[in-house]
Amino acid sequence: MNLLKRGIVFAMLLAPVLCSAQLSIAGPVQAGAGAMLQAPGSGSATLYLFGPTGAIKRSVQRGTIAILGDDLKLAGRYTAILDGSSASFYVTAAPLARISFIARPSRVPAAASGAVLGSAFLFDRYQNLVLAPTPVTFRLGTDAATGEDRYSNSHNGVAWVQLNSGRSSGPAQFIASAGDVSVRRVVQQVAADPCAIRMNATRAADGSILVETAPIQDCSGNAVPDGTIVTFTSVDRAGRSTVDARIKRGFARAELPASSGATLSVAAGVVMGNEIHWGGGQ
Amino acid sequence: MISQPSDKHADIRYLSLAARATIALCLLFGIASFPTAIHAAGPEYSLNTSSASPRTVEDTTAASIERDYAHAWKSLVAALEANRAELLTENFTGTARQRWQQAIDIQRQNGLSRRIVDHGHSLRVIFYSLDGSSLQLEDVADLEIEYRDGGKVLSSEHIKSRYLVLLTPAENSWKIRILEELPPS
Repeated sequence: MNLLKRGIVFAMLLAPVLCSAQLSIAGPVQAGAGAMLQAPGSGSATLYLFGPTGAIKRSVQRGTIAILGDDLKLAGRYTAILDGSSASFYVTAAPLARISFIARPSRVPAAASGAVLGSAFLFDRYQNLVLAPTPVTFRLGTDAATGEDRYSNSHNGVAWVQLNSGRSSGPAQFIASAGDVSVRRVVQQVAADPCAIRMNATRAADGSILVETAPIQDCSGNAVPDGTIVTFTSVDRAGRSTVDARIKRGFARAELPASSGATLSVAAGVVMGNEIHWGGGQ
Repeated sequence: MISQPSDKHADIRYLSLAARATIALCLLFGIASFPTAIHAAGPEYSLNTSSASPRTVEDTTAASIERDYAHAWKSLVAALEANRAELLTENFTGTARQRWQQAIDIQRQNGLSRRIVDHGHSLRVIFYSLDGSSLQLEDVADLEIEYRDGGKVLSSEHIKSRYLVLLTPAENSWKIRILEELPPS
């Protein structure tokens, strides 16, 4: 009888240990897919599940316990607790479903070296970073025929690229794609600094000097945008005269004071144009 | 009223006794509060920027990241223990803020909580975008976690957790945009 009592006490002490030792789950689990938790024994118990989605408490029957995909949407570590025993498992990202693409800048000079930057973040449908290395293609071009492609493998869910801007001005499509997913950004390529400024001068009826540039372009042949300031300068014995004019329809023109002998120059930003020595019969 | 010499002696004796008691109490509380003072120093953070790519991390940026990331974890630990999702507003943004606030709300609705004792973080910068708009960290955190149902501790564990973190700069601080725990490497 005494032995029986001891046996019952021993079994009561050991039972939770035996039950708790075998709480297990096959892992890793894919986000949103759900999972099966194995809890040996029979009868009801309270299951707790702590993880990035929150913490839930549920009455369950021991045996095979189904954990719904909705409770395992987010990647990370989950801890299941049942009658004081616990088991941890990891949920990993589902397949790629979305790319978050950061493209900089939105406006860039044409033919600028390494001026266009792109970072692509790869996510599954639940906004988990897809950590498996994934090939990503970046493309920058103003049309389908021209442009530059660059291939990169993602690391820890991120792929990045640094590209030269195209030679022609206009809206360029900057595309990041991986698998069936593709994201498009527009980078406005604008003419760079003028490459060379040529001007000529003529005498007006009232004796003043009319100066006008040839079409102003960057080194790739793109017209420098209207509104860009061009500075005309005249230096003579009386001193210096400066006139700022805006480019209009590709040209800049201005009227400088009459002079019998002057040196005329033109500049836009840091770019100098030609000089004209004005005087006498010229 | 004029006090007698014997009364004066008694006063001095009481004052002396009170002063000694005060000193003893101060010492007692001083000693008692000593471990608390050590604990208040908080978890240690180490940041390694040598693998940062494609952009290198400047010293001032590194200091800001360490400071802001430490604040973020302090707020996460407090929020998970007290079930106060609003504590994450300052240091979390985007997906991370939305996810963790939602997780805390669910936890609170179920009467559950997590108490974390944070023993420190070993951080390594693995990506810093050329334009400085995003920075990715790997964090190995040394944590003690207690899972609770009301006041009852359900289970506890001491683990080294690996986190993948995406930080983005805000007006005057770095904020956590993604905080995902990874399987052990």
